[in-house]
Amino acid sequence: MTAAAFAAVFKPGQVDVQLIESSEIGIVGVGEATLPHIRFFNRRIGIDERELMAKTQATFKLGIEFVDWARLGDSYIHPFGVFGGKMAGVPFHNYWLRQGSQGIHTPLEGYSLPIVASREGKFALPSEDMSSILSTFGYAFQFDASLYAKFLRGFAEERGVVRTDGKIVDVQLRGTDGWIEAVKLENGALISGDLFIDCSGFRGLLIEQSLKTGYDEWTKWLPCDRAAAVPCENAGPLTPYTRATAREAGWQWRIPLQHRTGNGYVYSSQFISDDEAATRLMSRLDGKALADPRFLRFTAGRRRKTWNRNCVAIGLSGGFLEPLESTSIHLIQVAITTLIDYLPTNMEFDERIVAGYNRWIEMEYDRVRDFLILHYHATERADSPIWNYCRTMQIPDSLAHKMELFRERAKVITYKDGLFLEPSWIAVYFGQRVVPRAYSPLADVLSEAELDSRLTTVRTQIKDAVAGMPTHEEFLSQYCPAGMPAAPGAGK
Amino acid sequence: MSGPVQRVVAVGGGPLAWIAALALNRAFRHRKLDVTVLDTGPGHDAPLGYWTLPSQRGMHDMIGVRESDLLKRTGASFKFGTEHRGWGGGDSRFLHAHAEIGTDIEGMPFYKYLQLAAMAGRPEKPVDFSVAAIAAGLGRFARPKEGSPLTSNFTYAFHLEAAPYVALLRELARAQGVRRVEGALAQVNHTADGNVDALLLADGGRVEGDLFLDCSGAHAAVMKFIEAGEREDWSQWLPCDRQWSALAGPQDNPPPLTRTMASDAGWLWWAPLAQSSMVGHVYSSAHLSDDEALARLKQLAPDLRTEPRLNRFSSGRRQRPWVRNCIALGDAAIELEPLAGAQLHAGQIGIGTLIDLFPLDTCSQVESVEYNRIVGEHADALRDFTMAHYRVNISRMGSFWEATRSEPAPARLANKLDLYRANGRIVLLDHESFEEVDWAWLLLGSGCLPAALEAQIQRLVEKVTPAAVAPLRRHLVELANSMPPHSQYLRHG
Repeated sequence: MTAAAFAAVFKPGQVDVQLIESSEIGIVGVGEATLPHIRFFNRRIGIDERELMAKTQATFKLGIEFVDWARLGDSYIHPFGVFGGKMAGVPFHNYWLRQGSQGIHTPLEGYSLPIVASREGKFALPSEDMSSILSTFGYAFQFDASLYAKFLRGFAEERGVVRTDGKIVDVQLRGTDGWIEAVKLENGALISGDLFIDCSGFRGLLIEQSLKTGYDEWTKWLPCDRAAAVPCENAGPLTPYTRATAREAGWQWRIPLQHRTGNGYVYSSQFISDDEAATRLMSRLDGKALADPRFLRFTAGRRRKTWNRNCVAIGLSGGFLEPLESTSIHLIQVAITTLIDYLPTNMEFDERIVAGYNRWIEMEYDRVRDFLILHYHATERADSPIWNYCRTMQIPDSLAHKMELFRERAKVITYKDGLFLEPSWIAVYFGQRVVPRAYSPLADVLSEAELDSRLTTVRTQIKDAVAGMPTHEEFLSQYCPAGMPAAPGAGK
Repeated sequence: MSGPVQRVVAVGGGPLAWIAALALNRAFRHRKLDVTVLDTGPGHDAPLGYWTLPSQRGMHDMIGVRESDLLKRTGASFKFGTEHRGWGGGDSRFLHAHAEIGTDIEGMPFYKYLQLAAMAGRPEKPVDFSVAAIAAGLGRFARPKEGSPLTSNFTYAFHLEAAPYVALLRELARAQGVRRVEGALAQVNHTADGNVDALLLADGGRVEGDLFLDCSGAHAAVMKFIEAGEREDWSQWLPCDRQWSALAGPQDNPPPLTRTMASDAGWLWWAPLAQSSMVGHVYSSAHLSDDEALARLKQLAPDLRTEPRLNRFSSGRRQRPWVRNCIALGDAAIELEPLAGAQLHAGQIGIGTLIDLFPLDTCSQVESVEYNRIVGEHADALRDFTMAHYRVNISRMGSFWEATRSEPAPARLANKLDLYRANGRIVLLDHESFEEVDWAWLLLGSGCLPAALEAQIQRLVEKVTPAAVAPLRRHLVELANSMPPHSQYLRHG
């Protein structure tokens, strides 16, 4: 992804990119769910969306369904879109709370077009007409990660990236300042460079094993440290959303692709054994399993400096946050685009630029971290040890303050930069049963009749708009049909 | 005892108390708040007047101040920006206009082109690419017009004399049902839980309330009676602590601009009004005596029309402007030299944040924590922008100017300037009133250039040549010349 972006943005001669990839080392080939920002990334580097979707067995994604999180039996959707259509002024949920306080209870879901569409299995592209209710949402993709990697490799090579197949056996540091001079491959070849980007995954071949940068662990807030992943056959219509179901020792993902469904169980090794987790996962699939489960290990946290000397860690080498909110690819994108934005023409990796870059990346990770912790902490579940732990754990002050303001008066703390905006917080707060005691006094400005009529209008508009949308499968079949893969399992 | 916040009392004699009263009255008209201003009259430390930021327009819209009334009744004038003279030494000058610079180049801000031009030693300046900036230099003014980006990508602010402005606001407040009590505050009455429930006046009067807004200026008439909390002192970075100001004679067809002029121990300023001018000298008492400072002001404006007044201040801010049920607004919360024109703005940030976080009941505490966080960040950002004027103009020598640069800058400003100097990138934090383009006016205007540009931005802006932008420059000059003289808008006689 990094190589593709650099090759697309910079001219050969300005920046020359070499990619070292070892075909011996497998990649984590699970289904990947993304966030709407990937579309800006694609546009910036010139990736055609339909081509990408067709070549990666992709489906559309309007949000994430969370099942059993606050209580067993609960379900809510975190949508890619706003609540309340185009109602201006005070954030919409205040009006909704006010109506609720007057005894008129309507589901919050009915005020979000992407949620209503998700529940009905519908999809259409958003409207460009900003006055239309159909412009109140965004979308992302769910695709096969190995096919995505293959697609990007092709894209990068077409743009002049030189790919070397080989395994790095040694990293040579400059004596004077400890910068990386070159990496040595198993066949003895020495590859030198000005800037080294470490996309080697959890182990952080350059950033940690060689530069000993250090890692801040967040396990005390995000205890999951393992995952078991397995694809299965599709059963039933393709949902335009990802599902995350809370389980006895973590949670299970379900990502529908055109040709199969990706599944995984993210769990804490403190609370369940690998075997038990795998057994549970295999017993909770929609269709027949297409492989044996594969296991992953990780530690939630962030590298202390994702840019250290002349090495930038991107992806899992830079930090790991579980894929609960599909942030993995997003954080990679952020790292890549920020790096591209910050690189100066003189290609001198000035300490001031490095520090500026690291501050930005830290902010992005820390804000995602708080949002993820909210899912675990705001629960009423007392049926298993992991939920008892998370419900009662000490959370970061930054999150505690946010939750208190929401609980006391429905106020969502927003920020200028960083990933999750007000609608995301609203969806998850209410979904996790963080129920405000009061709403903003500003929401009393409408008369009761006007409030009622405006809310009814939004609901009706959304219902009518969704009724006119094609089903997700109809839309996929005319927009980006992938066809069946040539030989399932080939190449493994 | 908890209950809804129904009675709000603003204390002060300047514009801010009235603006706060009007704004709250308006925002919660459905609640029929009972809003009182304890009018303590123009205090001895009240500013003579203000040069504002464009946010004043939004506030006026909200509280119902009509611009035509403002011009007619108060002798206000327009402001396209601020011209800073001598900050880079000698006869250097630069403008900070309330305007965009040029139009985007393939999604990149136009100032990137000017950075590259300046790095290549070409003389193109931000003022050449803003119709408002060109018009300001010509003494012309027009309001932005929708239609073309070139005629709509600027805004404006005002020069306001405090006394007539307050009179206008007071009248508006009366018409909208705000109660006025005149008097001097002698003491406050605390309840058992530490809140304030009444103000006790020198004449024996008593004003009760649920929420108290201290708009009384730096001496903080209300806050001084309650637990003070920590104050952050900024004087090691911003040594100015005095200001002389007065009214002076008018200028024929004055430009819609505030001017500042760097002096040996601070800076002088001049701002036009319809029938007079406001002048001031902001300086450091450690570097200049009051008498000498006044002499410098008289040199600038030999035709002073009012007795010069001396204000003392000390740059810094309260860490917790909201304590219990009392909120310090404006100078009571943050003291800062008026270089950025943000005096009323700083108070209005507080008012806007209060409206958003209006307490649910008299015992509610959660709001104050968030309020203090947001308003604190805003205050720090205003401080940073003010301080940057000194930090990026490094060629002025002398003990005062060297003192402004001798201490390391606060981290948030140092980070911003460091990154800019390394790769030309301007990064903003969460709550900043000045935007990227404001920083671009300041940094480019001061001749502060980066060592390099962001590589991929340079690729884009390299394609633009001076010849390619020449027609744009000519067009902007024509547009500016088609604007009426600023004087045509002003009240005469």
